[in-house]
Amino acid sequence: MASPAQPTDILPAAGRNHREIISPEGVPLSVELADFGERAVAFTIDFILLNAAILLLYLPLSYLVLLDFGGAILTGVMMFVAFLVRNTYFLHFELAWRGSTPGKRITGLRVIDRRGGPLLPSAVIARNLTREFEIFMPLIVLLSIGGVETGNVAQWLSFAWILAIGAIPFLNRDRMRGGDLIAGTMVIALPRRALLSDLAQRDALFSFTDKHLTAYGAYELQVLEEILRGAQTEAYSADMLRQVGEKIRRKIGWREPVPLESEAMFLRDFYTAERAFLEREQLFGKTKVDKYSQPVRRV
Amino acid sequence: MDGTARSEPDETRISAEPPRPQVVLRSSEFRKKREEDWRALEVLIDRAERRGIRSLSAVDVQRLPVLYRSAVSSLSVARSIALDRNMLAYLENLSLRAFLVVYGPRSSLLDGLKRFFARDFPRAVRSAGPHLLIVTLAMIAGVAAGFILTVGDEDWFSALVPAGLAADRGPESTREDLLTKEIFAPWQGAAHAFAIFANTLFQHNTMVGILSFSLGLAAGIPTVLLMVYNGLILGAFVALHYNRGLTYEIIGWLSIHGVTEFTAILLCGAGGLVIADKMLFPDRFSRLQSLAVHGRVAAQIVIGAVLLFFIAAILEGGFRQFVQSTELRYAIGWGIGGLWLGYFLRAGRRRG
Repeated sequence: MASPAQPTDILPAAGRNHREIISPEGVPLSVELADFGERAVAFTIDFILLNAAILLLYLPLSYLVLLDFGGAILTGVMMFVAFLVRNTYFLHFELAWRGSTPGKRITGLRVIDRRGGPLLPSAVIARNLTREFEIFMPLIVLLSIGGVETGNVAQWLSFAWILAIGAIPFLNRDRMRGGDLIAGTMVIALPRRALLSDLAQRDALFSFTDKHLTAYGAYELQVLEEILRGAQTEAYSADMLRQVGEKIRRKIGWREPVPLESEAMFLRDFYTAERAFLEREQLFGKTKVDKYSQPVRRV
Repeated sequence: MDGTARSEPDETRISAEPPRPQVVLRSSEFRKKREEDWRALEVLIDRAERRGIRSLSAVDVQRLPVLYRSAVSSLSVARSIALDRNMLAYLENLSLRAFLVVYGPRSSLLDGLKRFFARDFPRAVRSAGPHLLIVTLAMIAGVAAGFILTVGDEDWFSALVPAGLAADRGPESTREDLLTKEIFAPWQGAAHAFAIFANTLFQHNTMVGILSFSLGLAAGIPTVLLMVYNGLILGAFVALHYNRGLTYEIIGWLSIHGVTEFTAILLCGAGGLVIADKMLFPDRFSRLQSLAVHGRVAAQIVIGAVLLFFIAAILEGGFRQFVQSTELRYAIGWGIGGLWLGYFLRAGRRRG
């Protein structure tokens, strides 16, 4: 029996994949998985901020150069400062901002526990210090001991390691990197959605019989909702609304003429009536997903 | 678009008919009753997201869980009675955001690290007891083999120890060389010490850590081999000095940082074995689930080991040549080793 898991799944939001977590109250909450692009942008922003902070801390180091310290010592100090800053950065923000960093905040991403539990500090620490092992330290080894052409085993290993680790997010369906896998976390997109006005109109101008209303299902209803909301923001012209109206009237067998200027009202009334009808049917256990399906009885 | 304005054009068509019954939508009624609470919750969540939960007043903090639960219950009801897509999406989103605020523990960097080192890390280490035993035995076997091989034939030293670690030492080194250039080489100042610190931390130790942990994914056999190999190097080193009558001095020289450093290497190896164990024998989980559940433990061990590497590097760079007495080196090295033992055995035992 093909019944949709949740009514919001009927017309899925464009783009992102959905996953479900169960809140402690036992209610499944649908989360939107962050895209690779979004995560790359978030990381790039964090990376830039991070390096700006590191550079700022390097300024006093130029004093050491004046004192004529050895190159090895200077590299040592620089690596140490970089190590401290990049780890404190991610740890601090993901702990204090509950799974967010400046980059994630700008792109609207969050780190959450994969099973819907609270995001524990140990998970945050695990996922971020793994980053050190995943990317930064192999990168340092790769870049530090001279070119790859020397055939250094450590460098080839680092290179292979970075490639293998970099492939992990592409190889699992939740797009987890190694650190997420180990910490049991995932990265989701968390947009802010606004509650728009209710489209349903109490007093209707046009009235429809049940025969008119059986033509469509929940999917078409929600497409119509999108169109009507689009018309409110003038994304759809009057012409387009007219076409939609004509099409609906042909389908449901509506005979009476509808003047051009009341097209929007017709659609709105139809939306209201259709929604009232489908919601009533659903309450009686007869869910109709779309116009092709027969109403199914949900147990 | 209110009712009076729009009724004009169609006045003629519907005037003859009696007034229609109003369309009553359960979902609209439902929304009207609950909307105020949703909006209130949204305001609180917005503020908490932007300025942190501390920006909420005491009253608001008390209202938050109540409003959250009411929103979640609204969501469950709406899912069964409403087809208003925007409202459903809004409720999903609001519940999720509220959930993340209500159940998102805030903690500072300091709190998080404190909790990790006071509880999670020693617990993780204790839970990996058998794995630690295996890697320790592997390393001891390596030390014994390296020692026996090199004592008999010092060419083994060059074969076992990589050039970078051996530096200038080798079969041709004399007792004097080893004493003056290595064991009791003069302290070269803080800057030089720091260079050693950074070098050991970021190159040698890190690679060992990464390798032993990640090779756990390859069923753990490479991890065990790596432990044996590390033992071989150590054994060869000791043998070279044994042949020149410097056993007591070299062990002191190695102890000051080696106790901590080899503990860290063993911990990394144990972490790798935990991963191998749980991948080979996932119990009632799928392999991926098993990795997620136990991977955290393994990662905690390795991450804690980074701290040990850190301390070992400080001891090696900062104190090894600074402290010129072998007895003191023993005392520092094994004293700190004893502290580690106490820490791993006792820390974080309270509260079950």
